[in-house]
Amino acid sequence: MGANLFSNYGEAVAMILFGIGFGNLLLQSNLIKKIIGLNIMDTAIYLFLAEKGYIADRVAPIVTNGVQSMEAYINPIPSGLVLTGIVVSVSVSALMLSITIRLYQRYHTLDLDEISIRLKKEGL
Amino acid sequence: MNFVQNFPAVSILLCLFAGIISSGLKKKAARFVNTVLISIVGFLSLCTLIYVMGTGESFVYVMGMFPAPWGNEIRAGVLEAFTALFFCIIMLLSLAGGRKKLADEVEEGKTFLYYVLMDLLLASLLALVYTNDLFTAYVFVEINTIAACGLIMIRQNGRTIEAAARYMIMSLLGSGLLLMGLCMLYDLTGHLLMSNIKEQIKWVYVSGQYRIPLLVTIALLSVGLAIKSALFPFHAWLPDAYGYSTVSSAAILSSLVSKGYIFLLIKIIYRVVGFEIFYESRIVDVLFVFGLMGMIFGSISAIRENDVRRMIAFSSVAQIGYIYMGIGMGTQAGMEASIFHIFSHAATKSLLFIGAIGLTDVSGGSRQFIELTGSAYRNKWAGVTFTVGSLSMVGVPLFSGFISKLLFAQAAVQNDVKMLPALIILGISTILNAIYFMKTVIRIYTPVEERKYESITFKDMKLYVATLACFIILNVVLGVSSQPIADIIGQGLAMFS
Amino acid sequence: MYYIILSILFPIFTGVYLLVRKEMKSRKNLLMAAGIFFVISAVLVILALCMAGNGLFTLFNLTNRLPILFKIDEVSVVFSVMAVVVIVCAGFFSFAYMKHEGKEKRYYGYYLIVLGVLIALCFAGNLITFYMFFEVLTLSSMPLVLHNGSKEAVMAGLKYLFYSLSGAYMSLFGIYFLERYGNTLTFSPGGVISAEMAVQHGGILLGICFAMLIGFGVKAGMFPMHAWLPAAHPVAPAPASAVLSAVIVKAGVLALVRVVYYIFGVSFLKGSWVQYAWIVLTLTTVFMGSMLAYREPVLKKRLAYSTVSQLSYILFGLSVMNAESVTGGLLHVLSHGFIKGALFLCAGAIIYMTGKTRVDQLRGIGKEMPLLMWCYTIVSLGLIGIPPTGGFISKWYLAQGALLSDIPGFNWIGPVILLISALLTAGYLLPLTIRGFFPGADYDYGTLKKKEPPLIMTVPILILTALSVGIGLFPQIVTNYLSHIVERVI
Repeated sequence: MGANLFSNYGEAVAMILFGIGFGNLLLQSNLIKKIIGLNIMDTAIYLFLAEKGYIADRVAPIVTNGVQSMEAYINPIPSGLVLTGIVVSVSVSALMLSITIRLYQRYHTLDLDEISIRLKKEGL
Repeated sequence: MNFVQNFPAVSILLCLFAGIISSGLKKKAARFVNTVLISIVGFLSLCTLIYVMGTGESFVYVMGMFPAPWGNEIRAGVLEAFTALFFCIIMLLSLAGGRKKLADEVEEGKTFLYYVLMDLLLASLLALVYTNDLFTAYVFVEINTIAACGLIMIRQNGRTIEAAARYMIMSLLGSGLLLMGLCMLYDLTGHLLMSNIKEQIKWVYVSGQYRIPLLVTIALLSVGLAIKSALFPFHAWLPDAYGYSTVSSAAILSSLVSKGYIFLLIKIIYRVVGFEIFYESRIVDVLFVFGLMGMIFGSISAIRENDVRRMIAFSSVAQIGYIYMGIGMGTQAGMEASIFHIFSHAATKSLLFIGAIGLTDVSGGSRQFIELTGSAYRNKWAGVTFTVGSLSMVGVPLFSGFISKLLFAQAAVQNDVKMLPALIILGISTILNAIYFMKTVIRIYTPVEERKYESITFKDMKLYVATLACFIILNVVLGVSSQPIADIIGQGLAMFS
Repeated sequence: MYYIILSILFPIFTGVYLLVRKEMKSRKNLLMAAGIFFVISAVLVILALCMAGNGLFTLFNLTNRLPILFKIDEVSVVFSVMAVVVIVCAGFFSFAYMKHEGKEKRYYGYYLIVLGVLIALCFAGNLITFYMFFEVLTLSSMPLVLHNGSKEAVMAGLKYLFYSLSGAYMSLFGIYFLERYGNTLTFSPGGVISAEMAVQHGGILLGICFAMLIGFGVKAGMFPMHAWLPAAHPVAPAPASAVLSAVIVKAGVLALVRVVYYIFGVSFLKGSWVQYAWIVLTLTTVFMGSMLAYREPVLKKRLAYSTVSQLSYILFGLSVMNAESVTGGLLHVLSHGFIKGALFLCAGAIIYMTGKTRVDQLRGIGKEMPLLMWCYTIVSLGLIGIPPTGGFISKWYLAQGALLSDIPGFNWIGPVILLISALLTAGYLLPLTIRGFFPGADYDYGTLKKKEPPLIMTVPILILTALSVGIGLFPQIVTNYLSHIVERVI
């Protein structure tokens, strides 16, 4: 168990980061902090993917001096996934930020709970 | 390769293109493009359905030129094609029913964006239904979320933006878990295509390795999708999102968007993890218990609600509980019942939303029960529709809701352990449903002495009435001739594995 | 064959037509239309009974294993004839009575729908068809309860709805199980439970049977789920109360007949705990209903409590499960239907003419409307069980059945309770007659006016009275017919 954990320390760190991000996104009431949590969470997943794709002592599959054997390269698919994931998370963050701006313009606060309370008072 | 096999991929691409084109169009043109698009996609799905039923087996469509382990694939069977067709019908009807309201609630200059979002939403739903690649599924899950968020907040007021924010947060939590699950699945198997993963998982499972990671993966996938489809207790965002957005959005969100995720979950159960392995993990029991809790608490919240739209929204929580209860039953019959309930609930809930808007419109726009008194006399068609929807929800025979409950109960009695809780909760939930829906129906049919609001005439809303008629017909068809649909579901599930 | 479907759909469609069409120009047109619809419906039912024969008529399949099908047998004939007679009589009575209640178009619309649904219930050939129309019956009869729209009526209507839905769900619960453990849901005399199944799943089947008894018993006002009945029946307009109390509750009785004798079967249930529990429940209800009726001052409520008690006479007969008791029970279905219909119509006529609802206000009523009160007295005697009315014959059979049954204890407790209850029945029905005809020395004869109700009210009451007496005078016609049923199910 301990040895496994140590040899896979990258994944372990990714998981811890994922937990931190998830907790922030779920529990923070400040919208900006929530978005930061979201980014930590997503990044942790990319770290996990990158760790999974990397094989020790191999290089990125970029062909410079002729194709070497398959054994020489790392698995490129996770890197592709990371790129796609980044695109997705950027767009999602942008959307979240824009919602935050809207809410801030209306209510001059970033605290989601307080916004809910005000909405109840408005009685909409 | 048969020509028809191109249709699923073509319909997804058509939706994406239509979205892009519509962003440069004016309101009416965008609406026209959208209507035509949904009709075409519906027609293509119908062709696919007929084709697949003719051949009796599903087909795989390879995107680009890369074969199995690397390329991206689309897979269409009977259930996929039927779901796509059904989604198109519901979307078309919901949009037609809410068209008039949309003009009031959305800024004039932004209406075309609504249709752009709708095109993209359809694209993502179709992709969720058809895709055979998990990472593609993830990407379209996110597109779906973004489009849905846009649909919520296109009506600009504080409530909708707050609801959109809450919806986004919950969705992102869900998709975070889903993505993590996918990565771990990739880690375990080295594949992203569903069929390949399944083979590998079977192998891993038989070899007895990686039991705990597998369990964690299944848990992550199920919980992620459960959060996204608003399973109790992750439903906090739902009443506001459904209650305050414009009515077509509410109808489509409750009947299609959440169902898209559930459909994906069912696909994962059958095509990725494998039915037996999924049920040998204890995750099903968790889903079962949360489903049951949702059935009760959703209904209780609905009873306490004073706002008709929010009441219907809470009822959705209960109905999603039903679906998860069926999945959690752990039998083929339970799964079939759940899938039938996906359709029946989609048909009924959108009908209720569209019907309710007709009632609130003739009550000065207020959604409080007290103002709705007698509204069924002011708008007869909406009153009848709402009554039909309520009866269906309560589970009166001849309507679709009864068949769902019948199927759930039939599934329940086959499972000795879960039979009693399932049937008892089903009973309590039925009675709770009856309490709040019948309360509303009696309220809208209680005559009022003084005429506070104008009643509405047929001329003002031909399209609306036609939509309502279609909805009612759809509901009764599901309720009366359920057997063909149940057959399609059974056939489709057989094709899954 | 098609008469069956026609006799069900005609009243339903004409009812819907009345509901959706615009207000008629004059009241006369509406009454004319409603009257014609009543007559045609009745004729169609009779045609269906004569022409349809014994075949099964499958309408469509709900799912592969659940067809919606209709079949006419002797039980259908008994119940449908009773239902049609009472409904048509009360319908014509409404022509005068509903003048002061208003909203007549809606009333006749739902009234016709209820008629159609009841016919469908009588003709239903399997449990799922029966259940379907049972639910629809609850929903379509609720507007009759809600008719005057007062807060009291709405509360009573809701109470009715929730009791009925809960009951129906309990029965549905049973249907689910039966579908799993039984081989068919189609009614067949003697039951569908095979000996093998009775051995294998005996315990669970008995449990289901009990749940279904309680569930369907809600509609028949059986203890412990009887509380809705005294609330819901009196708030409806009088002719509607007559239909509710005389006919619609019989749907519950019909359900129990079907479940006990046509699904589970006597051989399976006889001697089981379910039978004993059921007997206890019915006897409790008989006694309790009479007691409550005895203490109730408002006439219509008193009659409603009386319904609770009298229905359980029928159920008691069914629960004893021998030839005499079942004959008595089914006979009481007919006689109670006619009698209770007549009683509620009398109460309605009194309310219509005088506006008085409490028994103690009705001193000297016999002097004001002698004909009406004579009818009231005759049918009251019938309900108490005094010859020569139908009630006497049915109670005779019931008591005999109880005495002949070999159930220890109940074979003497049963008749005793029936007797006590009969005394109580006399106690709550006859004071009206006595006070009505003999108001006492201090009654002011100077203000006495003849207030005999109009002909359209009197004639239906007279018909029902005549029928209830007729059963008593010529019982063998009915009992001969009933013996066909009894032979096949016992």
